Amino acid sequence: MMSYLRAESIEHALTLLKESASGAKIIAGGTDLFLQELPGHLIDIGFIGELKEIKEEKGQLHIGAALTHTLAANSKLIKDKATALAEASSLVGSPQIRNIGTLGGNVINAAPAADAAVALVALGAQAVLIDLEENIRCIPVDQLYSGFNCTSVDCSSEMLLKFIINTCEPGEGTAFVRFAARRALALPMANAAARIKITDGVISEAYLVAAPVKPAPTRLTETETLLHGEPAEESTWLKAELSAAGEVAVRGSLLRCSADYRKHLVGLMAGRALRTAASRAVERKEVR
Amino acid sequence: MNKETIRFMLNGEQVEIYANPAKSLLHLLRDDLGLTGTKEGCGQGECGACTVLLDDVAVNSCLVPAGKISGHSVITIEALSKDGKPDFVQEAFVEKGAVQCGFCTPGMVMSAHALLRQNTDPSPEEVKTAISGNLCRCTGYKQIEEAILSAAEKLKS
Repeated sequence: MMSYLRAESIEHALTLLKESASGAKIIAGGTDLFLQELPGHLIDIGFIGELKEIKEEKGQLHIGAALTHTLAANSKLIKDKATALAEASSLVGSPQIRNIGTLGGNVINAAPAADAAVALVALGAQAVLIDLEENIRCIPVDQLYSGFNCTSVDCSSEMLLKFIINTCEPGEGTAFVRFAARRALALPMANAAARIKITDGVISEAYLVAAPVKPAPTRLTETETLLHGEPAEESTWLKAELSAAGEVAVRGSLLRCSADYRKHLVGLMAGRALRTAASRAVERKEVR
Repeated sequence: MNKETIRFMLNGEQVEIYANPAKSLLHLLRDDLGLTGTKEGCGQGECGACTVLLDDVAVNSCLVPAGKISGHSVITIEALSKDGKPDFVQEAFVEKGAVQCGFCTPGMVMSAHALLRQNTDPSPEEVKTAISGNLCRCTGYKQIEEAILSAAEKLKS
């Protein structure tokens, strides 16, 4: 016996999860899950309005986990206050995939170089989850990953509700870039996202994430440290490129490219993301 | 495998079908409803041949569980021609020679419709983005782009 149930609200989804026999799983867009063997019981949360909301509250963006990539890419709030995420969502798969695939699914499916997940980690996003007893837990997105293609979220007893991101303030800029064999429907050979704060021409904060480096989107901490206190100028970006390529240990794969080429690309993508984020940080300051 | 009744709007008409909700919308359309205009290319969301409109936006019907469409609206290539006459997008495809083997064409036409429903004056770049999820192995993209721009012109006049 199998079943396909549509949840109308978060409470309804939790009730359905509780009532169903073990083995029921949450499905949102389903674009990844549908290609794998489906579990016997599915609970579809893809049409729950509350899980698609985008709200700004007290300097933070709350972004529903079932928001599609198309809606994320077109949201004025996300474009303005979390640019890297809008950029990443606009580059996922194809228009057809973006119309149905969700931000939450991009993280929970745990592909090592999922574009939106890489941007979310660079933005310092927190994931908010609810379990069957309605306990809420809040955890940084990169800490959700528990191995290759898996997260610590058990979709039969826990549901991802939303992401919380500190909004981009004056002097801050973010960016996402990717490199793939084609402009659509191609796995990235490498992608990167950056969040940078510039104070009086000097980098006062830097978050730099690249993938696929490890099973989870990976902060390039050595390069982040190197950037701190440096002037926001070309010589710094060149140093960061070398540092980023140098600090990752990557493997080659038939699906993507050789290890040497990927190392080179990680450096290149890191540099591009930093330059764009920095120029946005400067623009943001001038506007206000 | 148990079936359930799935009710949805198909090409403007309410339909009810008793089917497995975990099968793909593509197979529901082709096998259960006999609408074979929607093509199966790769079957895994890579080629766009199976593109249909779900609530007016383009989706790969091969990746949509049939259960998901309950209460929603689906439009397929069959909805476009009236009394055997092609609609304005199909007409533009014929006029611009945008059809070679024809296998990708239904998907291309549906992606064009998805675009033109939201944007009646697309730029060439917007047309390219709109069909970026549709592969044509005859590689006739140029004519397809021209056809969609020409269809947009028709829409204006």
